[in-house]
Amino acid sequence: MITRRELLASAGAAVAVAGLASIAGPAAAQAKKTVVLASMGPVTGNWDPTSHTTLGQSNFEKFVFSHLTRCQMEEGKVPELEPDLAVSWQLIDANTLEFKLRDGVKFHDGKDFGAEDVKATMEYASNPERPAASFYPGRVDVEVVDRLTVRLSTAKYGYPASAYWFISSFLPILSAKDVADPATLQKRPNGTNAFKYVETVGDRSMLAANDAYYGGRPKIDEIVYAYVPDANTRLLGLMNGEYQIAERLEPEQYATLAGNDAIVGHRGLSTENKYLHFRCNKAPFDDPRIRLAACHAIDREQILMLMGDAASATSCFISPMKFGFKDIETYPKYDPEECQRLLAEAGFPNGEGLPPLEYITSIGFYPKTKEYGEIITAMMAEQGFNVQLTVLEPAAWEQAIYRAADGQGQGHMCDVGWMTGSPEPDLVLRPNWHSKAALITGVNDPEIDAVLDEERGAATPEERLKILQEKVFPLMAQKSPSFSLFSAVNFHGAAKGLQGAYYFPNGPIDLSKADLV
Amino acid sequence: MLFALDFFMRRIAQGLIIVLLVALLIFTLLRVVPGDPVRIMLGPMVSPSVAEQTAKEMGLRDPVLVQFGRYVGQIAQGDFGRSFVRSAQGASTGGTRAADTFNAANRASVIGLIATAVPYSLLLAGLAFVFALALAVPIGIYAGLRSGKWPDRFALYLSSIFVSLPNIWLALVLIFLVSAKAGWLPAIGYKGFSYAILPAIVLAVELAPVFIRSIAVSVSGNLMEAYVSVGQIRGLSRSRMIVFHVFRNSLIPLLNTLGIQAVGVLLGSLFLIEYVFNFPGVGLLMINAVFQRDFPIIQAISILACVVLVVVNILVDFAATTIDRRLQY
Repeated sequence: MITRRELLASAGAAVAVAGLASIAGPAAAQAKKTVVLASMGPVTGNWDPTSHTTLGQSNFEKFVFSHLTRCQMEEGKVPELEPDLAVSWQLIDANTLEFKLRDGVKFHDGKDFGAEDVKATMEYASNPERPAASFYPGRVDVEVVDRLTVRLSTAKYGYPASAYWFISSFLPILSAKDVADPATLQKRPNGTNAFKYVETVGDRSMLAANDAYYGGRPKIDEIVYAYVPDANTRLLGLMNGEYQIAERLEPEQYATLAGNDAIVGHRGLSTENKYLHFRCNKAPFDDPRIRLAACHAIDREQILMLMGDAASATSCFISPMKFGFKDIETYPKYDPEECQRLLAEAGFPNGEGLPPLEYITSIGFYPKTKEYGEIITAMMAEQGFNVQLTVLEPAAWEQAIYRAADGQGQGHMCDVGWMTGSPEPDLVLRPNWHSKAALITGVNDPEIDAVLDEERGAATPEERLKILQEKVFPLMAQKSPSFSLFSAVNFHGAAKGLQGAYYFPNGPIDLSKADLV
Repeated sequence: MLFALDFFMRRIAQGLIIVLLVALLIFTLLRVVPGDPVRIMLGPMVSPSVAEQTAKEMGLRDPVLVQFGRYVGQIAQGDFGRSFVRSAQGASTGGTRAADTFNAANRASVIGLIATAVPYSLLLAGLAFVFALALAVPIGIYAGLRSGKWPDRFALYLSSIFVSLPNIWLALVLIFLVSAKAGWLPAIGYKGFSYAILPAIVLAVELAPVFIRSIAVSVSGNLMEAYVSVGQIRGLSRSRMIVFHVFRNSLIPLLNTLGIQAVGVLLGSLFLIEYVFNFPGVGLLMINAVFQRDFPIIQAISILACVVLVVVNILVDFAATTIDRRLQY
């Protein structure tokens, strides 16, 4: 017979053993090279890459799906394409772009990769009905020349095929079999890249090394992609060894890593600029002179001082990581006199008669938005603008910034960033400033539309570059539908033992050549 | 027996009204505060017309009372609905849109998500109670027995310090010192029982002052009651009086503290602490749901929390009445 005391003693011992076992568990698991990546963004419940515009899932997809080409987007270098699923490519004529494909590649489900997969993917993703269609320049037809050659044709749709040049490094290539079966496509991601999808449990999605990867089996055996919304938790998890990579740290957190021998910080210019968007379809910002006056009221030097390492000074509407970037000479500078001149010319001397303006910003999504929002509010008030700053948490902010069904949006100015995964500048320019979208600004300016259409229609990259730098950006600086405040910098932290990881400036991390030593 | 039946029937009826009122309040507030869940469900690039159409299809543009009536009808059938944002696999999702994304089968069942998370929260809450009581009972009793002397002052100072420590700050400091620096205990996420210890300590630090003061005041108050002197005059030793009578009578206010204050404090703090520790309980589920405007999850957890408080109150009052029949609730 067991006495009560013996029973309690046994229970205590069992709990202690369970506790010790659970402590010992993670250490034992080290034999398998597992990288736990603490992500700031969640994935969606739908694994079809054309069904979303979510940053977290785009980053996740980069582990699973390959692209026709690869673009490293390195800081200070002209963006160049490298082979990935395509081994070579060339413009046949203004409306035809040819890709020669890699032989011997298999999808994770075992299917052979070929031209039919590129055709199915391109025609499916560019369909304007798809939710992520705004990432792509427009419809495209794909001709299968042979098993390993495709030709993209834009002849029927009135724009040049070169618009797909950089998109080729961004569009995830799907299996034609999956595209034909949407239910399967949504159920699990099936690509050709270095890691294959295993399962999702709660907020953790598991990936395993792809033994048949054409670039060689990765040395990392497993990736756990964990959604951890709080930046402090991500940092502390990195410091105590629970995570091997922590995404999107705050600048101060990044600075604290400097003295930590077990962690390596990574700082990189992103593809994202931070904008002060004006509601151009609403008074008083329907007058370009008032928009320009507001730009001249803002001393960006003060904002940059506040941001420290988290911002890079640029004077353009796109990030330096994008094709076409150039600091524009005519970009609005801090000039109170010019501000007053423009206000007087528009009929509001010293800001008198201007309506109260609401400026919407977020807290907890980007670093220091509230703080520099207060600075901008004060600087504009100094010039006679009556600005009220509205600080919203991310969900409310996301609702407030976009124009509603009636075309109007809340307030008069919004703080928003725009991060996209390719050097392609149209991913930023058209959604924000072409009247067909103008998701936030509501700008409807035929001159801006005309130059944006002209640059998209350029026959060669050289011609396009010239139009962007000599026509598009100077015109936008003059019209100022938005004011780009700075280019954003990303901070990541990683365990020192993780070597060979490559951090793309739009968020994804390449671990195909990485090792955990 | 009749007393118990009458007690439970009356209190359960009152409790149902409270739960219904709280549910209505939460339901209304969620729909009044800024933040449209449709934007989060569909993603930032969705056209305003599609967002509006989806909201209408989901009934989110109906009058609040109509929506609430529909919701209560569902709950009455045991259906708490499906998450707006989480996938059937339970993952927290961002903006997505596809033809059958809003098919209910594509979205996680709210009850399923809560059922998965509840055991973690119960473990954490239970451990926090154990730690808090292990600390508070000896200190509180000693302070009560030595009222006005140094043990009493020590208990007061310790409680004051504990109350003054913001739980989020304490959590971050403990993770940094105990887990990241010293490596004594794991933290962040959950891979085993040991992952519950650090967050439970943080919660215990917040709970302990409530227990310490309650026990100390109750014990010292009882010691001054006439029955203690009378018992001793009749020949019972002081230690016997304390152990068998004073402690028993001191239990009533402690039960109330446990039931009303402690569970309330715990429910509030549990949410925050689970979020900071990324501990996969109901709190983490709730806070992420708030950020993502996942109405069905917020509503269900609020109702669940309210039910827990009401049930605990009923049980505590019943226990107190059983201990002291003079009490009427």
